[in-house]
Order: sequence, then structure tokens, then C-alpha cells
Amino acid sequence: MIRYWWLGVIFLATLILPVVIGEFWIHIAVEILILALFAVSFNMIFGYMGQLSFGHAAYFGVGAYATGLLMVKTSIPLPICLAISMITAGIFALIIGYFCVRLTGIYFAILTMAFGQLMYYIIFQWYSFTGGDDGLQGIVPPDWILSATAYYYLTLVIVTAALIVIWFITESPFGYTMRAIRENAERIRFIGINVRKYMLINFAVAGMFAGLAGGLLGPFNRSIAPDLCNWHQSGVPVFMTVIGGPISFFGPIIGSVIYTFLFAFVTGFTEYWPLTIGLVIIFVVLYMPGGVMGLAKTKFKTPITKDLMVEAKGSMDTET
Amino acid sequence: MDASMVFAQFMSGLSRGMMLFLIASGLSLIFGVMNILNFAHATLWLVGAYFCYSFWYLMQDYGFGLWLSIILAALTLAAIGWVIEVVLIRRVYKRELPEQLLLTYALILIFGDLIKIIWGVEDKLIDRPPLVASPVFIFGMPFDSYFIFVILVGFTVAIGLWWFLKKTRYGHIVRAAVFSREMVSALGIPIPKIYTGVFALGIFLAGLAGGVQAPIGSITLGMDMAVVIQAFCVVVIGGFGSLLGTFVAAILVGEVYAFSILFWPQGALVLIFIVTACILILRPWGLFGTPTRT
Repeated sequence: MIRYWWLGVIFLATLILPVVIGEFWIHIAVEILILALFAVSFNMIFGYMGQLSFGHAAYFGVGAYATGLLMVKTSIPLPICLAISMITAGIFALIIGYFCVRLTGIYFAILTMAFGQLMYYIIFQWYSFTGGDDGLQGIVPPDWILSATAYYYLTLVIVTAALIVIWFITESPFGYTMRAIRENAERIRFIGINVRKYMLINFAVAGMFAGLAGGLLGPFNRSIAPDLCNWHQSGVPVFMTVIGGPISFFGPIIGSVIYTFLFAFVTGFTEYWPLTIGLVIIFVVLYMPGGVMGLAKTKFKTPITKDLMVEAKGSMDTET
Repeated sequence: MDASMVFAQFMSGLSRGMMLFLIASGLSLIFGVMNILNFAHATLWLVGAYFCYSFWYLMQDYGFGLWLSIILAALTLAAIGWVIEVVLIRRVYKRELPEQLLLTYALILIFGDLIKIIWGVEDKLIDRPPLVASPVFIFGMPFDSYFIFVILVGFTVAIGLWWFLKKTRYGHIVRAAVFSREMVSALGIPIPKIYTGVFALGIFLAGLAGGVQAPIGSITLGMDMAVVIQAFCVVVIGGFGSLLGTFVAAILVGEVYAFSILFWPQGALVLIFIVTACILILRPWGLFGTPTRT
């Protein structure tokens, strides 16, 4: 593990970060962490399993609503709420995934999107339970994490722990089975592995972590809205992953940093954020296939880039 | 609920279905031939509606203004579609699915903001010409006379597309390209030109649908978001690339929507999504599609 010394440096840097930066940037940093976890969980399906989910926000939203509803309507402590968020989102992902893993390619994308929109409309129209399009207000975090800095540290600890768990999952034999399924599902079936079962487990685990990320969002924003579940929100991890590079474990995290910074920067002086990000996406798709990590891989051959590529194993090279 | 009310509801479902058909037919055509799922289809539909408004605004003193505006809007959108294909879509034929999807997704964001910049955020309303301004009575039930025009356009486009695909040389090429682009290209037919033509035709249909939509109610920002998902549902239910399937599925979705409004107003869209999910799980190629494509 000594070759990952720079990860330790980054972690130390994130620890002292709130001392250096102002309140506004702490908020941005919390958002980056939450969305990074969301994007990394998405990449478990996209990068490792090779399927594009366009309904990943459904689990993010379910997680957000689980924590939000529990905090508004009961007095369960936050850590338990977050655990329940993970489990609820995982159960939803398990049920929806059961159907989705039967399909691949564009049909997988459309079916995940259809289910995502289904969840969105249910949350949107179930006024008595979810508050409908008014959303949920007044999700106040407990006193010990009321300040932005305290909430930042809580998010940092939880997100880092979750990312380490995801890292170990993707580097386990299970993770390598997912890569093999991505490369050639038929051969893996011949070996005697139940491909659908593996895909379903991966889908559900990805949903759980998306739910955890969603759960962290409610107390941070003090409110949640049904828009968290719709397909625009599902597009966010797709951008982040494509900007950062799906070929690497760290790609979506870098994508989250770029996306969130860009958002904070651009909305500072123009209301035309969608136009800007739209042009950025077109630029990345046309001229930077593989995202930032893809660029780093070909242009900057330093030991750190090599470590960043640790998961790639030539995947995207063979597919084109 | 008596028979005349059922009939009125049926007609309103039919006009809704025809609107969906106009949008979904272009989407299905583009996907069937080019294998590209155009996320931005409904946004271009909305751009068509705004163009129709602008043309109408310039010609509002003339009785034929609206009808001419609809045609002009469709032609403008065909030109926009042509440009999009040549400048952007052509570069990603060989790319992977997510990149193609993201590209058309980016178009939603860009065109959404361009609408805001060009036409502003206020709702636009078109005064209808006297011919379609007042309701007609069918079996004693009032029915929006403009909806009859919508239904007529829907049927005309369906027949026109059918004629184009079955009876003309270009239609034959397009249908052949659905099955094997390599074979078509081996016969010396320039595939990129066919693709550009098909994309422009698909966006033309979106523009026509937008023009037809424009006078129905006020034109508002964000109208496209609800429609795009329904159009996807129609294409999925009917089967990608199948004109007949799109037609039948559009009517089905329109009617399901119209009748579930009576019994369970909140559930209309939910019901459509459930139907779509069932179709995808049981018959991913749709009701009328061919299972060979993957």
C-alpha cells in the first residue's frame, strides 16, 4: 500500500481544508464529497459492469427521502437514519435491478430510466407522505454537526469510509468477476457463473451507496425536493464519470470536483449554467474521450497516473 | 358516464396519441436507422413550437398565417437537424452508447437555454384562426375543433411515412439500412448522406409536431420534459424502428392517459411507465419490432 502515499497526502489535505477555506467553499466541498460518492456508486454499474444506468438518481432520491422523512417525522439519530437510507435504497435497487439486469445496452439504459421516472412520479404525487412537489423542509441536523465545518468532517469520514469499502469490493474477486462480465458476459456464463445474480448484487450495492450519498444531502441542504430523483439528476453522475473518466476508480471523484467547481464558478456570473455544461459535455465527448483520466493516461505518464489507472486494465482500449 | 362522454374522452385520447405519434415517429426513425437515441427530440419539438409562434407573430394579420407558420417551423427544424447531424452526430457514429446519449443530452441543455435567451421566459400564446377557434359538438359533447386538425395531421403523416418507406426508392434504402448498414453501404449507397437525411427528416417531424402543438395551449419552458419520456415509452412499446408499432403504441398511450385521468388522475403517467417496463422486460423489441436487433 506504500505506493498510495499520495492518497494519504490528499486525505491529510482534506482534513486541514476547512481551516484554510471560507464557509462558502466548505459548502462546495461537502457537495463535492456527496456527489463523488454518488458518481463512484454509479461507476460501479457503468465502469465496472459496463451498463449505463440512466435512473441512478432514483436510489439517491430514495436515500434522501428515507433520511429526510425519518428526521422530520421521528427523532431517530442521524447515523441510524443513514443506515436505514442505505438499506431502503438497496432494497429498491434490488427490486428494480431484478428486472433491469435481464437487459443490456440501450434497453438497460431505457428501463433504468423508466423505473427512475416511475419513482420520481410516485414521490412527486404522493403528497400525504412525501410532500409532493413542495418537497420536505426543516431537516435540521442535530447540534453536534450544525456548523458547516462539523458537517464537512462527518461527510468526509462517511464518504471516505464508503469509498474504501467500494474500493475493496471492486478489487475483490467479485469486482474482477464484474469486469469479466463487462468484457464478455457469455464466456463468464460458460464458466458457470450466474451472470444475472452477480449483476443484480452489484446493482443493489451501487444503489445502497447512492442511497447513502442521498441520505447525507438532506440534512446538509436542510430540505429535499422530488427533483432529486428525476432523470436530470441521473444525468449528473453520468457527466461526472464521463468528464473524469470511467476507466479509473478515481475518475468519477475528479469529475465531481470539476463539475461542482464549474457549477459554483459559472453560476456566479451567469444564469445559463445548462448551456455552459452542455457545451463542456460536447467538448469532452468529441475531443476528450476517456475524460480527464483518459487524457492523463496518454499524455502524462507519471507513477501517480499509473496508480490512478489502477482499475483500468485496458478495458476501454479493447472495446473500441 | 354515458356513451357520448366515453366518445369525447376517446377523441381527446386520440388527439393526444396523434401528437405523441408525430414526436415518436421521428425518434423511432432515427433510432431504427442510425441506432442513436435522440434525447433532445422533445426539446427540438419545443423549439419548433417557439418557431411556429414567431412565424405566426409576423403573419398574424393573415388568415393563413398559422398554417403557413406550422410548415415553416417544420422546415426550419429540418435545417437545424441537418446542421446537428453534420456538425455533431456524425462524429460519434462509432462511439459507445453513453457518449452518444450524453451528446444528445447536452443538446437538451443547450437548446433549453437558447430558448430562454431567444424567446424569454414568458409563456407564448397563439390566437387561433376562426376556423378552429370554437368547439364543435359531437353527440352533444363539446370538442375542441383544433384537435380534429391534430388527428388529421397525425393520420396524414402516418400514411405519408408509410408511403415513403414502402413505395419510394429512398424509403427502401432507409428500411434496408435498419437491417444492415454494411450491406447498404456495400451496394454503393453513401450511408452518411442517408443518415443526414434521416436525421433531418426525424427532426422535421419533431418541428411539425411542435408547430401543431403551438396553438393548443400556451407554449411554456420545460414542456418538453414530460413529453420526452412519454415519447420514449411510445417507441419502446411499439418497437424501435417500427412505424406501425409507433402508431399503435401512440394511440394506446394517448387513450390510457385519457381514460386513467377519469378514474385515477395521479396514476396516468405511473400506469404508462408500468406498461413500458413490462414491455421492456417481456418483449424488449416491442409489440411490432423484430427481435433480431440487440
